[in-house]
Amino acid sequence: MAAFASLEYQTVDLIPSGKAHLRDTTQDATRSLEAFLASVERKAFRIAQIALRHEADALDVVQDAMMQLSSRYALRPAQEWKPLFYRILENRVRDMQRRRNVRSRVMAFMPWRGEDEEDAVDPVDLAMDGAAQPPAQLESDEAMAALEQAIAGLPARQRQAFLLRNFEGMDVAETAATMKCSQGSVKTHYFRALQALRSKLGEFRT
Amino acid sequence: MRGEKTEAASSEFERRARALLLRSAEELPGAVRSRLTQARYAALAARPAHLPSFARRWVPVGAAVAAVLALLIVYVPHGRGPLENPVANAGLEDIELLTDNDAVPLNGDQDVDYDFYEWAATEAAGAAPPAVGS
Repeated sequence: MAAFASLEYQTVDLIPSGKAHLRDTTQDATRSLEAFLASVERKAFRIAQIALRHEADALDVVQDAMMQLSSRYALRPAQEWKPLFYRILENRVRDMQRRRNVRSRVMAFMPWRGEDEEDAVDPVDLAMDGAAQPPAQLESDEAMAALEQAIAGLPARQRQAFLLRNFEGMDVAETAATMKCSQGSVKTHYFRALQALRSKLGEFRT
Repeated sequence: MRGEKTEAASSEFERRARALLLRSAEELPGAVRSRLTQARYAALAARPAHLPSFARRWVPVGAAVAAVLALLIVYVPHGRGPLENPVANAGLEDIELLTDNDAVPLNGDQDVDYDFYEWAATEAAGAAPPAVGS
């Protein structure tokens, strides 16, 4: 962790020592960006994981989105970061899904090729955990798995609207800015997503 | 009444879904949290240096002006052509004057025929006007 601490102020060192006010401003901006990324990274990972159903791919997508926001949009006003970040994230998720589709089509022409080792399920992961889980936790995990599966089955725009509004807590205007559509469309997508999830899951317990 | 009940049920459903999703984000495995932290620091390291505001404002303007000047230098002809340029042609004109036998002598008194001018002056002063038809 100490190694990363030195990275934090790497860009600050580019400023001459005489420009102290610029150094302070840059440090503040770096701290703001770090706080922003820390505030969204877990939710972003879960959003990507639900869409992609793959942990490593979700991590790659989140890392790409963070990198792009930081390298290209860090100098933009802080209030623009959230819509920009989630727009980049959604684009990366779609890119990853397209790549997977292409890869699966190519693989379909190669019947001799076995399953990728990366994609193969490790039997150790499937083994039951030795520690007994409390019934409430188990129920919650099952509810989460069902919800995750139901959200993953939604059309992309409905999934995006639901996760941004419900999980990330964006208002309609922010969601519309992120999805690049009208506020009316956001309301429609969200309403349809809610209806679809309720019909699939009914009333589930948390 | 039925609409209100449906709305309340939707709100309850939304609340439960949100609680589950938030809990799943809070309870991520340590390995995933570590990877996310690494990704965050890598992203911060890729952040561009903060330029001073005046530089940010003038760099694009300067680049545009330089581009226009470069285009002018490349595409606009350099003044008039060599045959129309008096400065460029000055050497050629001097050579023509020096080599022309009918031109006014430019080399001082060396080639002036003083005898001819004296004879002409004498003739003009002493001689009668020429007769008509002579």
